[in-house]
Amino acid sequence: MIGAFTDGFVQLQGWLLDRVVQPVLLTLGLGSYLEMAFDGLEFFLWGILQLATAYVLLRPLEALLPIEVWRDRKAVRVDVLYSLLDRLGIIPLLVFALLAPLFVEVDSWLRFHDILPAQLEDLFPVLEQQPLLSFATYLIILDFAEYWRHRLSHTLRWWWALHAVHHSQRKMTLWTDSRNHLLDDLSSGFWFAVIALLIGVPPGQFIGLLMAVRIVENLSHVNARLSFGHLGELLLVSPRYHRWHHALDLPAGRRYRFGCNFAILFPVWDQLFGTQYRGQAMPSSGLSHGPLPESAAESGFWRQQWEGLVALAATFRPHTRGR
Amino acid sequence: MTFILGHPLLPLPAVMIDCLSTSFRRLAASLLLLLLLCVNGTADAGLAIALNSADGTISLIDTETYTVTDKVTVCKEPHHLIPTPDEKSIIVACAAANQLVFFDPSTGREQKRVRNISDPYQLGYSPDRKWFVATSLRLDRVDLYDPTDFTLKGRLPAPRAPSHIAFDHASEFVFVTLQDSNEVMAIHLGTQKIAWVMPVGRTPAGIVMSPDNRYLLVASMGEGVVEVIEWRFQKSVKKVATDTATHNFQPKGDRRHFFVSNRSVNGSISLFDTRTMTVVEKYDVPGGPDDMLVRADGKELWATARFARKVQVLDLDSKTLKVSIPVGSSPHGVFFLNHAGLR
Repeated sequence: MIGAFTDGFVQLQGWLLDRVVQPVLLTLGLGSYLEMAFDGLEFFLWGILQLATAYVLLRPLEALLPIEVWRDRKAVRVDVLYSLLDRLGIIPLLVFALLAPLFVEVDSWLRFHDILPAQLEDLFPVLEQQPLLSFATYLIILDFAEYWRHRLSHTLRWWWALHAVHHSQRKMTLWTDSRNHLLDDLSSGFWFAVIALLIGVPPGQFIGLLMAVRIVENLSHVNARLSFGHLGELLLVSPRYHRWHHALDLPAGRRYRFGCNFAILFPVWDQLFGTQYRGQAMPSSGLSHGPLPESAAESGFWRQQWEGLVALAATFRPHTRGR
Repeated sequence: MTFILGHPLLPLPAVMIDCLSTSFRRLAASLLLLLLLCVNGTADAGLAIALNSADGTISLIDTETYTVTDKVTVCKEPHHLIPTPDEKSIIVACAAANQLVFFDPSTGREQKRVRNISDPYQLGYSPDRKWFVATSLRLDRVDLYDPTDFTLKGRLPAPRAPSHIAFDHASEFVFVTLQDSNEVMAIHLGTQKIAWVMPVGRTPAGIVMSPDNRYLLVASMGEGVVEVIEWRFQKSVKKVATDTATHNFQPKGDRRHFFVSNRSVNGSISLFDTRTMTVVEKYDVPGGPDDMLVRADGKELWATARFARKVQVLDLDSKTLKVSIPVGSSPHGVFFLNHAGLR
């Protein structure tokens, strides 16, 4: 079964390379990118599978246990577009194309000056022999880094202006996870590249498991009355837990300066750093005030990108206040 | 003097054998065969190692049954493997892990790790064994090491995308293909300086020296040709069409022919004659054939199929695909001791 799936997957990947990608790359004199393109196609195909799985598993939950029922889902469509662009690798490819030259330059400069960037495996050689332990370690470290990236994106005014696009959705669904301003994606990519420079890149052989992690991220935005219970929400971010992160408002006395529940996968980071709120209800989502106009909740893709840029520019003007 | 079984390690005068009865001779021959296997290494009997770049593993393959017997974790993003000159180890270049990992080619067991080798991609020993050269494809750089202790002796910028390596027979120069700038670079090993850089066909990858030490052969992926270069004059003398995405070379073992992998999904392997500088045969080998090795008896050519997660075994008698061995993701190098030669 697994063998047949792998064979079919690889054949499709090869067919796409042979018929679509390779002729273009060879014609453009970009033959040395063939291997990368082949890996990119794997990412693309896994992305289709991941989105299809998320839809099949989570959309029925939204239909059966909705938190909110809307007369029309027009505002959700743009999030579907964001999800396709993100999960099928188009936005990650753009981010890579923009950042790779810079980070290769930095890496190259360091090595020419005999500074070899650190590797996690050099500190803990046991990781070299234990692939599952290695995957778990990288997952925890990267989730920890993601917690701080997310928290910073709420703390720094310029970053919040961009990240607010993600929070502007009032009809939060399984698709909302990928709703991000392109510069927010770029900033996140920069953050990841710095982490990779500090500890090395994570092992690449667990793409299937990484896709499972992405389904969890889709799940955390789902419009379904779901929680993992008291114990479960100590271990993994649930839809209810994350909904409080997107809440229009928090109860009095619980209003953290920049929000709450920043964890992506493991709520333990919020517990450790005092940003956790374990509300029992399912609050409404959206932005209660600034930095985007009200229209952002219903805007299309390009309009949202523009609104994010305007908000970003405003943060650099003197005497601009508030978030 | 007649060599029993044609093996130079066990010479016996023919006259001694003639004195023996037929049955005794059979028994003696069997014992000698057994002894031969013991002396020359049980190792030869059966292990091939395939390197899976995207998985970070090696697959251990029984060469008799063509089955994978084990998969061993190596490191993050290993690219390419080469044997040490004495073939007591194979070295795996771990690009993302900044390491060289040594394995016993007869057992597949890890022997040691050499750390702080910056981003090794392709590796090569100079014929005189005085230099160990590593390219860094990602960081546009060629590193020259002392092979006795792997201390860095020289580091040269090599924009862009230095890939495959070849040496002249005197170990005076190392030649490197620059994939993204469509050039070949020659580095003088004595001075550790760049001697010259010359333009070649689009996206050059594999590079080898002809047996007469006169020509460099360069596989041009972008043009689907083998480009013949009279390297002493830095002159391109011929381009020989092979197939789409011409990628790498492997000597047949007769000091005349090279196998040339054409690394597309519906790929092929061409046989290139270095005397006539022509392609004399071509075999269909699907899945993106990349690195290759010929069995010592010349009956099989093994090739890693990058885009099919397989090692393809080509029967060189029938010139057809004999067996496909499923391995890991992006297989990028194969080695076994019982091979027909590497130069």
